[in-house]
Amino acid sequence: MQTFTEKYDLLGCIQCGRCTGGCPVTVRADLNVRQFVNDAYDEDKLEELAKLAEIWDCTACHTCAVRCPKGLKPLEVLIGLRTMIVESGKVEPTVRDALQSVLLEGNPWEKSRATRSDWMEGLDVRIADPDEPVENLFFVCCTIAYDPRVRAVAQNMVKLLNKAGVDYAFLPEDESCCGSEVLTLGEEGLFEMQVEDNTEYLNEFKAERIVTLSPHCFTTYKTHYPDLKTPVVHYTQLLVDLLNDGKLSWKGELPKKIVYHDPCYLGKQGGIYDEPRELLKSIPGAELVEFERRRERSLCCEGGGGKMWVESESKKERLSDTRIKDAKELGAEIVAVACPFCVLTLEDSMKGLGYEEEMRVAEIMELLGELMET
Amino acid sequence: MKTFVCIKYVPDTSEAEVKLNPDGLTVDDSRFSFDINDADNYAVEESVIIKEAQGGEVTVLSIGPKKSEVMIRMAMAKGCDKAVRIEDDRIAAHDPLMVAKVLAGGLKDQEFDLVLTGCMANDDWHMSTGVALAEELGVNHASMVNKVEILDGKVKVNRELEGGLMEVVEVDLPAVLTIQTGINEPRYAPIRGIRQAQKKELNVVSLDDMGIDAAAVNADASQVVLEKLYIPEVESSAEFIEGEPDEKAEKLASILQKGGLV
Amino acid sequence: MGNVLVLAEHRQGALRDVSFEMLAVAPKIAEELGGEAVVLLMGSGMDDMAKKMTGYGLKVMVVDDPAFENFNAEKYQMALSALLDDLKPSVLMVGHTAQGVDFMPALAVEKKLPLVADVVELAFEDGTLKATRQLYSGKVNAVVAFKPADTFLVTFREGAVEAPEASAAGDVEKLDSPLKEEVPYRKFVEYVEAEVGDVDITQSDILVAIGRGLKEDKNLPMVEELATAIKADIAGSRAATDAGWIPHDRQVGTSGKAVKPKLYIAMGISGAFQHLAGMKGAKTIVAINKDPEAPIFTVADYAIVDDMFKVLPKLTEKLKELK
Repeated sequence: MQTFTEKYDLLGCIQCGRCTGGCPVTVRADLNVRQFVNDAYDEDKLEELAKLAEIWDCTACHTCAVRCPKGLKPLEVLIGLRTMIVESGKVEPTVRDALQSVLLEGNPWEKSRATRSDWMEGLDVRIADPDEPVENLFFVCCTIAYDPRVRAVAQNMVKLLNKAGVDYAFLPEDESCCGSEVLTLGEEGLFEMQVEDNTEYLNEFKAERIVTLSPHCFTTYKTHYPDLKTPVVHYTQLLVDLLNDGKLSWKGELPKKIVYHDPCYLGKQGGIYDEPRELLKSIPGAELVEFERRRERSLCCEGGGGKMWVESESKKERLSDTRIKDAKELGAEIVAVACPFCVLTLEDSMKGLGYEEEMRVAEIMELLGELMET
Repeated sequence: MKTFVCIKYVPDTSEAEVKLNPDGLTVDDSRFSFDINDADNYAVEESVIIKEAQGGEVTVLSIGPKKSEVMIRMAMAKGCDKAVRIEDDRIAAHDPLMVAKVLAGGLKDQEFDLVLTGCMANDDWHMSTGVALAEELGVNHASMVNKVEILDGKVKVNRELEGGLMEVVEVDLPAVLTIQTGINEPRYAPIRGIRQAQKKELNVVSLDDMGIDAAAVNADASQVVLEKLYIPEVESSAEFIEGEPDEKAEKLASILQKGGLV
Repeated sequence: MGNVLVLAEHRQGALRDVSFEMLAVAPKIAEELGGEAVVLLMGSGMDDMAKKMTGYGLKVMVVDDPAFENFNAEKYQMALSALLDDLKPSVLMVGHTAQGVDFMPALAVEKKLPLVADVVELAFEDGTLKATRQLYSGKVNAVVAFKPADTFLVTFREGAVEAPEASAAGDVEKLDSPLKEEVPYRKFVEYVEAEVGDVDITQSDILVAIGRGLKEDKNLPMVEELATAIKADIAGSRAATDAGWIPHDRQVGTSGKAVKPKLYIAMGISGAFQHLAGMKGAKTIVAINKDPEAPIFTVADYAIVDDMFKVLPKLTEKLKELK
């Protein structure tokens, strides 16, 4: 039996504290990841550590991993502790229901699998077939498929692809959750099963690349699916190629000040910083401004790490509130993101702060959809 | 403590549109998600809580199709020890008295102290099966239970009545209890637990295997006939407020204010 | 005999609504059968209640026995089993309540009689007694026909029909208690009130009620803000109680409180019948729910089909402004 120390490589830690120093959650909650790494050496203490509420505060943004001079992933200790709770069965009901829904219906939103493709209604969508090779195989993501707020990301994508004459196909409704949030909620066994099942499923298709709409699926497939045959890209990468090939053109203009928020799963974890910016720059009339905390230092919106199903016990200001206030100070009229979770958390804060009149939170595909020539 | 817990696999129709099949007697469930019946989930948890406190063994008993086995394995992952799944399309499923007879057949020749089941199924709303089962078995019962205390040879339970009142009763064991939702907080069944539960005993049986004469529990045996299903017309006199979310909110606010309601 | 026997339900000295409501249905069924509707009251010290039940022009049979002071399923089953043999009614109607569901299925099994539970409509069609009941969160109705039997057993849903107006007085007939022996297995201990908090929602003028649609407790402050703005108390459905968002004494419905506020704003409540039953006394009902098929809209006066979180902030803001 592998010990906790071996599993998460804790002995490599030199307790320099760069992880906690950079952790965005430290201002939001009582989370000290360095301390956890230190305390987790003692196997006898693990059960006690697992009971601490702050293990659920980590958003899996990976800032600690980016900053660790030893190349460790300190957050994994927290996820390991979550695993102990999950495997005891005594998780929050919201987490329980989300995980169970992934097992039974292939999505964490407690929606029926049979309705996964309902977003396609009224659209001319090409559906993938394992027997028909395709250049771009699209993986939608559970949140985009089911949440009406962000469905437009997929719907606009279909229209754009049809218009640009791209060889593409979307997976049918048997597409299943990538497991990003299952992994970070600590349901290790379920995630292993998802990796196995999804690898087998996706490997049946003959595609040049898998294009993901959510950075969570993107990073998860790239990082945790060693046997996936097909390379995975984020949609912003594909669109920049199309843009450079002159296949995309916009009608009208959007004379607005736009600030781009780097999603943690796309930037810090996926290394994609420039493509979303290039797309925004291509919008006629738009003025792109930058947050002070951007790219590798981008402030997390607290949407990842399973946080869509766990509320922090801390009542301190939400990071998404901080982010929206920063955007307000920059005079941004649009906060553009490339992640469905960021849309939900940031828009929530924007509305909560009462900036609806003067500010808008939008996924890049929403903006492009409005500029598309039809 | 030897406990049986009777559970049912049901569709979730709370948000979805319900359509009927051409036979007019069944609903088209192809677009629904399925899961353990709500109240039965609480019954499973209660059975495991009792086992953890008192020791003993819990057996799952369920009538349902092969695909419901995932629900049974989940109950086992939570701590139930073995299971019997009854599958037989001759059972008159529309009549809880017939269903109770079949379940009683599954408990025949078995020793038990307690039989737990949910107080109501989300799909057919009878609230009858558990109490009928008790009578079939010739044992005591209490329905709509939201607190269980095991005493010596008996059980003290709170029954949930209308109006936020509880009726406290004691019944001698063995007994059937129908469990109300909210009695506990059902735990999560982790996938590793579900995998381990694959090793636990799950017997699939038909009426013939159980020694039940199908003629005693089929539609002919039932004294009621399900004649037809229909989608009731929504009798709504409601004024639907239209527009963008903000407009709706503004219109409603002004209606409430003008009507002197706030 | 062709009679319809209606068991009047009571608790702690008071008759329950369903006892009167069933009198709107029973006489019609009895007429078809060529018999009459008869009320049965079982309890201890029943004179006052018997008087109330006689106000509908029907015969009231009273079993007055200290053994029936509190409800006990075992005693009820034993007594009704004997009374079915003696009185041979064609139909026995009992409320589909925590009492009714606790003994009727057992009685049906014991007497080998057909039972249809949770009936909302009962009528004869071509000589056959047919019961209508609901399935699938009230989205589907089922018509169930009784095959010929000595007695048809029915548990009738509370609140499904309106109680008739009182009419001429009927006779009271005292019956000997059919209970001949002590029941051995079940013992009534006591009634306990669910924990009472600081607010009694049955007395509230305005209620803002939440359901499963609240999703999680972090969303509660948004609702509280609205409630504060319009001086409302917060109540909710069973789902809201189960989730721990509101204490049990704020639950509206058959397993909670029956409320009668001037204004009831239901948000994220689909409107399970159990909930509707508890709030139908509200004068004005506003429902906000994203499912256009939600049954709550069938009782609403004003309806908004949308995500409650999209409507709520603006609604609160506007109501604050208008004050």
